[in-house]
Amino acid sequence: MIWVWIAFAPILGGLAYGGERVLRARMQRRQGPPLLQPFYDMFKLLDKRTLIVHSPHALLAVAHFFILWFSIVAIFMGWNLLYIIFLHLFAQILLILAGYSVRSVYSHIGANRELLMLIAYEPILLLVAVGFYLESGSFEISEILQKGGYLTSMPLLFAALAMVIPIKVKKSPFDVGEAHQEIVGGVEIEYSGIFYEFLYMSRFLEYIFIYSFVFLFGGVSSWVGTVLVAGTFLAVNLVDNATARVKTADMLKIIYSIAMMLCIVNIAGIL
Amino acid sequence: MEMVLTLFLLPVVASLFLVLSPNVRVQYVLSGAVLALLSITAFSLYNSPNILTFHFPQTLNTFVVAADIVLLLFFLYQGKKYDSPKVIILAIVQLVLFLYIEHASPGHSAQVVIDGLTKFTMEYSPSSTNSAEIVVDELSKFMFLIINIVGGIIVLYSVRYMEDEPVSPLKKQLFIGALLVFLSVMNLIVCANSLMLFFFLFEMTTLASYVLIAFRNDETSRANALKALWMNQIGGVVILLGALIAIKGFETVMLDTLMQRSGGWVLLSIALLAMAALVKGASIPFEGWLLGAMVAPTPVSAMLHSATMVKIAPYLILRLAPVIGSTAVGGMISIIGSLVFVAASYLALSRSVFKEILGYSTVALLGLMMALAAIGTKESIMLAMALMLFHALSKALLFLSAGVLERVHHAKNIEEMKGMVSRSPKTVGFIIFGFMSLTLPPFGLFMGKMFAIASVASLLHERPLLLIVVLSLIVGSALLVLLYFKVASALLASSSDVLPSQATPLPLGFGIPLWLLAFLTVGMAGGYIMMQQKMSVMVLALPLIFVILLPVIVRSMNGYDRSQPYHCGEKESFDSALVYYKPSHYMQQAMYWSFGILFISVAIFGALS
Repeated sequence: MIWVWIAFAPILGGLAYGGERVLRARMQRRQGPPLLQPFYDMFKLLDKRTLIVHSPHALLAVAHFFILWFSIVAIFMGWNLLYIIFLHLFAQILLILAGYSVRSVYSHIGANRELLMLIAYEPILLLVAVGFYLESGSFEISEILQKGGYLTSMPLLFAALAMVIPIKVKKSPFDVGEAHQEIVGGVEIEYSGIFYEFLYMSRFLEYIFIYSFVFLFGGVSSWVGTVLVAGTFLAVNLVDNATARVKTADMLKIIYSIAMMLCIVNIAGIL
Repeated sequence: MEMVLTLFLLPVVASLFLVLSPNVRVQYVLSGAVLALLSITAFSLYNSPNILTFHFPQTLNTFVVAADIVLLLFFLYQGKKYDSPKVIILAIVQLVLFLYIEHASPGHSAQVVIDGLTKFTMEYSPSSTNSAEIVVDELSKFMFLIINIVGGIIVLYSVRYMEDEPVSPLKKQLFIGALLVFLSVMNLIVCANSLMLFFFLFEMTTLASYVLIAFRNDETSRANALKALWMNQIGGVVILLGALIAIKGFETVMLDTLMQRSGGWVLLSIALLAMAALVKGASIPFEGWLLGAMVAPTPVSAMLHSATMVKIAPYLILRLAPVIGSTAVGGMISIIGSLVFVAASYLALSRSVFKEILGYSTVALLGLMMALAAIGTKESIMLAMALMLFHALSKALLFLSAGVLERVHHAKNIEEMKGMVSRSPKTVGFIIFGFMSLTLPPFGLFMGKMFAIASVASLLHERPLLLIVVLSLIVGSALLVLLYFKVASALLASSSDVLPSQATPLPLGFGIPLWLLAFLTVGMAGGYIMMQQKMSVMVLALPLIFVILLPVIVRSMNGYDRSQPYHCGEKESFDSALVYYKPSHYMQQAMYWSFGILFISVAIFGALS
């Protein structure tokens, strides 16, 4: 059963992405695209002629996708939270290297921003993992899910996590990585056709990745977890509609001052 | 026994031969043979279980005392010659302290030596003959492994490197010879049990730093060499103070005897030694000397200032770990080390000279190793050792690659390295590999950092102050990722692969040492994963295998059409924009002062507890 979930993880993420577009449209009183729009886009991409700049650049996108998927596998299998975060880091670094490997201004700025985003959210994710460890005595997801009551003992860590979700799913106010008016797609710009499709699907997986952390706060009760995910999903989109993009440097300052403080206070409180 | 002597003597003998042979081929063969012999010896020694001890004959002890006085007088002379009051004052302080200790130490009579080195009336009281001057234990054997394998590879590399150096052939040979002699000194220092012998060897490494930094003999080299000299002399002074307390309070200069004592000033004595480690490890505020050392020829930077000599710092903390582990002194060292890890990673972001960036990241990682070692649990000690090994391999690889870029492409600054991948794909490949081996799974250094997070987190409930270490580990690692891949952004950026390649081939003399280091990095990481005896760790290796295999699986990308990068209709030329982050002057000053206060507080904590 679990393997079915793993195999369909990109589709699940695609549905989340499609659902989000519908949700945001409704918040803005628009009709919005159909739920399955991401999949229509995928089929359209398959028909396009593929142009590449050079082969390492194209292959890194493929590697990025599969390693991201592998980290999702690790989540579903209930492995060590630290491994999962670092597998994700690995996948992200490959994408950044790909962005740097072409002589394109937009790709370079995009990769720079991806790198800064990475160092903004990664410490927070690790601190959340440390919080789970202190509460449950293990970094293994399967054991973290055996216990409950995380939300009451680490509310500030949850708040910090909620602050970094917009970075990961590229939503305002932290959507610097996408910022299509400024950087024409960032790292994604030099991809087309099938290789762009891999990047497009990676985005679906990112949804699963980051919302799994939210789900963990539910602990043993998957109901609480589901409600938390739904609530956070709604809140993130609400904030997305209500705020403007901040500068990359300001994003770093906000995360490192506020979110980091929240984590430290919470962990110090647990001790 | 013979094996240890091989490690001590073979480099010296080889260096004599090397200095006498102007033929480059002979030099290659010699250094290759030395590398092979030393590695095999170190490796088989590592696999032998027993602890070896040596007593020094009296004449040898006298020789050490005499050599030490000569060395200190040489420092004094250098200080006078180049008009550096700091060097002069510190040399005088050291001389006074040294003579006083020799005078006070049981049985030693250093006066004799001053009287003209004629009458050797050395007597030894039983207390100093209890334990041996040289003790080769597990830790020493581990250090042998790092020193001889990595050091040997660097010597091999330096043969090719020196070919292009614009100096006389004799000076080139002396340079390589000096590196070899330095290997002997390093092999000795990691098993020196007598504090006075340790002090002598510590000063020898300071001398090596001084002479080799000043090798190019221009104004900056000289100034930086003097800076390295006086800063390291502070390390010498604190060792002497530690030894003085040991002699006065416990009538011993043997480290193992001292560490078994309790009460009195024993912790202060140990704390002073730990402070010497902070100086040698170029922890802030002493990082200036290591940064300045980057003007030296690259093999020097690789050997002394990254792979081997500065490893004395974590080594010394590891040696002292059983005593300081659960004390306030250990706590202070952990905190300083972990704060240095973050601060140095941050400061590195403001630099643009490639070797300086590597230097700062070395300072950072040495801080982390010291922090872990000072925690003193069995697990954290193992982690500090693993970090030391993998750091030596990765940093040697990076420094040697930096040397290739400097030699073949005349690029020292990362601003000059933009798009280097099309000119020197292999070297850039090694650099990117080096960066990945420092930050990503499944490489050893990454694994060490990850296990360290888990290990320190497990201690948090008992020792909440270690939260600082966890935080620094997490933030510092993120900053290092930013640092390395920022540099990568300059190196990469290649045009569409339909254009003809402009690559210059990598000379074999550079290629072989680099490949050796890369293989060792992979092999040792594999071994380290196997050692964990946890199947789940192995999954971390899968992504790398996938990335390596991907080009093989896909085979040919010729089926896809090529295009040029999109410029959105703009015509300006491409320039990879590097970002720099610099703390304000005020903040930097505040940082130096607070690190200075923390440094002194180590001694205060040692005195109070």
